[in-house]
Amino acid sequence: MSASAHAHEEHGEHISSLKSYLVIFGILLVLTVVTVGVSRLGLPSDISIMVAIGVACVKAFFVAGWFMHLKWDTRFNLLVFLGGFWFMLVFFGFTLTDLGSRGNLIEANDNFSQRADMGAKYAEPAHHVEGSGGHH
Amino acid sequence: MLSHNENEAEAAGGHEHPAWQAHHFYSGAQQKASVKLGMWAFLVQEVLFFSGLFMAYFAFRYLYPDTWLAAHELLDWRLGGLNTVVLLFSSLTMALAVRACQLDDMKAVVRYLWITIGCAGIFMVVKYFEYSHKFHAGTLPGKWYTFDGIEGGAPEVFFAVYFMMTGVHGLHVVIGIGIMLWMIFGPIRKGKISKDYYPLVENVGLYWHLVDLIWIFLFPLLYLVR
Repeated sequence: MSASAHAHEEHGEHISSLKSYLVIFGILLVLTVVTVGVSRLGLPSDISIMVAIGVACVKAFFVAGWFMHLKWDTRFNLLVFLGGFWFMLVFFGFTLTDLGSRGNLIEANDNFSQRADMGAKYAEPAHHVEGSGGHH
Repeated sequence: MLSHNENEAEAAGGHEHPAWQAHHFYSGAQQKASVKLGMWAFLVQEVLFFSGLFMAYFAFRYLYPDTWLAAHELLDWRLGGLNTVVLLFSSLTMALAVRACQLDDMKAVVRYLWITIGCAGIFMVVKYFEYSHKFHAGTLPGKWYTFDGIEGGAPEVFFAVYFMMTGVHGLHVVIGIGIMLWMIFGPIRKGKISKDYYPLVENVGLYWHLVDLIWIFLFPLLYLVR
């Protein structure tokens, strides 16, 4: 086997058609319209943000798979990239769990969110702090 | 791991290895695979460093949900949407630049790169208008925040997060413009890129798509948070 034939095979050299790129671009545009549309439906914000993130993930799937050519790249590169996202989820998971469960451990931190006065330090105008902590 | 390839590599590297192959690689294929893997590792680093900013967004949104909902009303989703479309289109043209490499059409590569640079420029111009509007309105981070009219605590924290996320992203766009210009006037003009060896264009493409990927998440989170 000659060196160039070897390189050729190794590299995978998949050339996508112009049409396939345009179709992916079209899908991405439609999904952009969807995400704007959903945000204006007036859904509860928890549901709205889940949908927004979900649609963004679908868009990311098409960008990574077709524009970034991961669909035809080596499995190893795919593993490396997805591995990055895995560690991101670990990071998010632990941090949010911590943030959401402070009150379970130390009662004084029960209303941690109201105590986060890093902002109040700067802005004098009265922010209305509802139900400001019965804890001190 | 590569030892079983050594004979073959020796044969390939011995006499007829291509001009672009660096001497510390066994074979051209290994070089291409390594260059690509290096880029993916760099992109993982990018994802993880942006994830710190996304985490800040989620944490402060959790702490100040009302502020987040009120403050995003001050961002113009139409401008954000316009920039989304512009970046998606630039990603398309970047992908087509890589495709043109595969087809060995270097004129088309340069053409697609210029279109991509143009889109990046439009993105930054829109960004400039958005930023200057916020400088006038006083919706700025931390102690520079002077706007009056958001219900809920710590609106200056929202704008700290906003400027940090869009600012670092914008910096990536500017760096991308620089790299593309360098590529056009450097390696491409010197004829160092061809159908046989174009990982540079591929890697710049991967970088550019990642910048697009991050904006795909920034847009709904910042402009459409409702």
